[in-house]
Amino acid sequence: MSRFLRSLALSVVLSLSAWSSALAQEAGGTLNLIVQPEPPTLNVGVNRLGPTTYVGNKIYEGLLTYSADLKPVPRLAESWTVSDDGLVYTFNLRRNVKWHDGQAFTAKDVVFSFEKFLPALQARSRLNLAEVKEIAAPDDHTVVFTLKAPFPAFIFVHNTAVLPAHLYEGVTDFRNAEANTKFVGTGPFKFAEWNKGSFIHLVKNPDYWGDGKPYLDDIFFHVIPDANSRAIAFETGQVDVLRAGDVENFDIRRLAELDGVELTEAGWEVLQPVGYIHLNNRHKPLDDVRVRQAIAHAIDRQFIIDTIFAGFGHETNGPLSRLSRFKDTAAETKYEYDPAKANALLDEAGLKPDANGVRFAVKLVPLPYGELWQRQAEYTREALAAVGIKVELVAADVPGWFKRLTSFDYDLGQNFVYTTADPAVGISYAYTTVEGDNAGTTGGNVNGYSNPEVDRLLVEAGHENDAEKRKALYSQAQKIISAEVPLIWTHDIVFPTLYRGKVRNLITTGFGTDENFADVWLAK
Amino acid sequence: MDRIGFLTGRAARAIVILLGVIVLNFVLLRLAPGDPASVLAGDQGAADAAFVEELRHDLGLDRSIPEQLWVYARSLAQLDFGQSYREQRPVVDIVAERLPATLLLTLTAFGFALAAGIALGSTAARHAGSLLDTILTGISVMFFAMPLFWIGLMAILFFSVWLDWLPSYGMATVGAGHSGLSHVADIALHLLLPALTLGLFYMAIYMRVTRASVLDVLDRDFVSTARAKGLKPGLIWRRHVLRNALLPIITFASLQAGHLIGGSILIETVFAWPGIGRLAFDALMQRDYNLLLAIFFITSAIVVAINLVADILYVAADPRIKLGA
Amino acid sequence: MAGPREILSRNPGAAVGTALLAAILFLAVFADLLYPGDPWRMATRPNLPPFSPGYLLGTDMLGRDLAAGIAHGARVTLLIAVAVTGLAVAFGVAVGAVAGYFGGRVDDVAMRFTEFFQTIPSFLLTVVIVAIVAPSLTSIILAIALVSWPQIARLVRAEVLSLASKDFVSAARVGGLSTPRIIWSHVLPNVLSPVIVAASLMTATVILIESGISFLGLGNRAFVSWGYLLGTGRTAFRVNWWLSTIPGVAIFLTVLSLNLVGDGLNDWLNPRSSGRSKRG
Repeated sequence: MSRFLRSLALSVVLSLSAWSSALAQEAGGTLNLIVQPEPPTLNVGVNRLGPTTYVGNKIYEGLLTYSADLKPVPRLAESWTVSDDGLVYTFNLRRNVKWHDGQAFTAKDVVFSFEKFLPALQARSRLNLAEVKEIAAPDDHTVVFTLKAPFPAFIFVHNTAVLPAHLYEGVTDFRNAEANTKFVGTGPFKFAEWNKGSFIHLVKNPDYWGDGKPYLDDIFFHVIPDANSRAIAFETGQVDVLRAGDVENFDIRRLAELDGVELTEAGWEVLQPVGYIHLNNRHKPLDDVRVRQAIAHAIDRQFIIDTIFAGFGHETNGPLSRLSRFKDTAAETKYEYDPAKANALLDEAGLKPDANGVRFAVKLVPLPYGELWQRQAEYTREALAAVGIKVELVAADVPGWFKRLTSFDYDLGQNFVYTTADPAVGISYAYTTVEGDNAGTTGGNVNGYSNPEVDRLLVEAGHENDAEKRKALYSQAQKIISAEVPLIWTHDIVFPTLYRGKVRNLITTGFGTDENFADVWLAK
Repeated sequence: MDRIGFLTGRAARAIVILLGVIVLNFVLLRLAPGDPASVLAGDQGAADAAFVEELRHDLGLDRSIPEQLWVYARSLAQLDFGQSYREQRPVVDIVAERLPATLLLTLTAFGFALAAGIALGSTAARHAGSLLDTILTGISVMFFAMPLFWIGLMAILFFSVWLDWLPSYGMATVGAGHSGLSHVADIALHLLLPALTLGLFYMAIYMRVTRASVLDVLDRDFVSTARAKGLKPGLIWRRHVLRNALLPIITFASLQAGHLIGGSILIETVFAWPGIGRLAFDALMQRDYNLLLAIFFITSAIVVAINLVADILYVAADPRIKLGA
Repeated sequence: MAGPREILSRNPGAAVGTALLAAILFLAVFADLLYPGDPWRMATRPNLPPFSPGYLLGTDMLGRDLAAGIAHGARVTLLIAVAVTGLAVAFGVAVGAVAGYFGGRVDDVAMRFTEFFQTIPSFLLTVVIVAIVAPSLTSIILAIALVSWPQIARLVRAEVLSLASKDFVSAARVGGLSTPRIIWSHVLPNVLSPVIVAASLMTATVILIESGISFLGLGNRAFVSWGYLLGTGRTAFRVNWWLSTIPGVAIFLTVLSLNLVGDGLNDWLNPRSSGRSKRG
């Protein structure tokens, strides 16, 4: 697409958003939300954890955000162009933007964030920077990224928060910088008060660049550590929104029945969560593809979706979410629930049952994120026992679970992962060969899966500028990965959001409730 | 024992606790799977092995364990508890923010438990063997036999959801903007359920101790002597029985202070009470050792202080006893 | 000393407690006969209410029989409770007896050590230990025992202190008996009765602590305990009330019966404290 066409497309998007905001919003009111668990900081440049992002994204903004159909939407960048060879990304910044401390926002802030601050604190930002040859600011309102090679996913890394360069002058140790706790952003809400253990209070930014926005006067994030108490807080009207994970899925079904309560499944188009049971491909007999396939056939994944996750979720047989632009179900191998087939595959792999009907024993590390994952682990133990695989559940808290998975110290391990809007800046890491015995993160290749062909396809697809060719490369990768099942994809996750009917425009983009809430308003 | 000896004894106790905290630090470093670096790396999204190593170096976790222990002990000697790995600020500040809430909760619960326990326990003892005694003892056994968090959950459902009388979580109404007296009233209202839940459990215990202790004293010679001398029952009760019966209760209750603070983890979780019990649990889950150890130390110091008060009360209740004896 | 039968007739609470405890023990011992097979087995439709045909106490969200869970859970719960009490009593008696008998420096050191464990918040310490060594039957038992013994140590020390000056102990000493021998055969038998009473109450407390650990999500999924059933059923209370209420009642009845039996024992063993309860 030419530069002209891109600008044209952009102006259409712009006028559409202007039209939608012309509906009769009412200004004013307080929105009550829950943040769970309490984040260590609100600075999204320092911490990328869910709760930090949820609160911090109202304070900090990136250059772009993404619509539900994964089109870039302007934020701090008013418009942008990508050169035809896919090498040069030029962002034209808004001119009337001020930091919450009154300083003007300029290109200097963007360069500082992408070149210095974020790479110092975020491993993923470092990987992105590795694709970049040069970041330049020809004037105060233009930033130009020149890449080493075409990297189409680059357009999807600009939701990353921009930080105020002027607060970090002379700072070298970014991790321990005092400015990290000042929470100065450009977003529609300003930090007001944090009563640790109780609530976080954000107030309207009267100088926000969006006309007439935000509509809300302020937002309270309540800290409530117990799931029952969170359900009660929503039920009694003390909070207006419940996000997935705030309460268990069966309680979501119950609460959705209440008067004036709405349920939506939208808002996960960017993150694209998928549920996993990791298989340690470095451990015998899981290194045998037949054994992995047998496990896939032995688990009734529809049961997991229907009974454990209260019907929220979809079957999936490959590395990508149904929400991915590259998802190719035709390339995938379908693993229907078939214990007989599982038994046959295990027999074929030479794993005969002993006198007690046990073929081999494995340890499963459950995901320590709430009851439903524990139920899933208990179910998995029973399901695999039925085909002669003895499963021992290894209890671990979050750090213990993290440690075991990233150091390949497990056989089976539960997880769920955000596969994200573009495989090249997301799920590719999970299937790329890892050298050594440290996978770094649970979002990485903790399976220890290694296929040089897949490695090659993923690198090539990541740097292919032609959209059609790129799609074909990813289809090939999906075909191999799905057939080799380096892990079990338990379900394509649906994370429902519950909210009171008076809350309007809650979800407007592919980021769902992680969006900046400039558009949210309350009906009186 | 004289006052100096007494103070030396207390100081020795404080040192033992400090040493204990250092040992605990060692145990945590050695045994815990996963360290703060791996938790932080998880927070940062896609980390790689090199990134985690870098973090570990920044946090000083790549040094040998004796070295880490030495660094920790040295700063502890200067009463410096260090930085929180997770929040990047002094742990003392973090604890100070949350301590008042826990003190308010536990002291209210403790006061209630002690007062109600002594009142009901002595009443039961006075009427030992009667129906009243049976009923009171029955009540105490009941409260003692239910898990704290279960009582809490039932109390929330009953008083907050069905009756809608009391708030179900937190220490104050979020965003209500109360100030002055109405703020105090708001906190009092929020305090009621958690403090009662915690308090009822300990009331049950104190009541049993009081009852047993009073019965024990009633059996003693000096009470019979006083009765024989024809002293009025009320006078005997106040001057001889209660005073003597209170001594073991004071000792027992002050020893229980540590339990009470520990038990507040459960209550603070159920009622979203912003205290250090919950903070300690979060610190544990995030391997924020410095924070966790500071909480251990500070709560232990509070227990020592409570025991000190108990000792002074002991002397006040029985002039024959000297400090520290 | 009155006989047990006499105590039971004079103290109906103890009679009720003994009967209850016997029933619970029966359930624990014969769990395999009453509910054969694995209690984790997904036996039937999920979320059946109590009194469903064949499933007296209903089923959970995976279709597991709650009655089987309660029966097998009785076994694990009592095992933990008894093991902790055994360990804590053994260690507490040893420390208390040595401290009380020798006095002086030994007593000082032993008491500082004991005080440390009484001063730091015990439940928090238990939780920390369980979390860092990973929850297993052994780690849970050890962690609870670690914070439970001081109470026994203090009790035994106090009793031994008062006994050490008694004539029969001095006589034994003069008679040339070795110290371990004196402690074992002359001192300990005399402190046994208050220890038995304290132990019965401790067993009750342990059950509550174990349920608290499960509540915080730190239980172990290798075995069904009541704490596990209560802790996991709790989040579903508004949907399936029985999943947490029934284990809660089981815990309540067991703790209650242990208390009643403890009181009865106290009545029988320590007749001087004419009341029915003494703790600490």
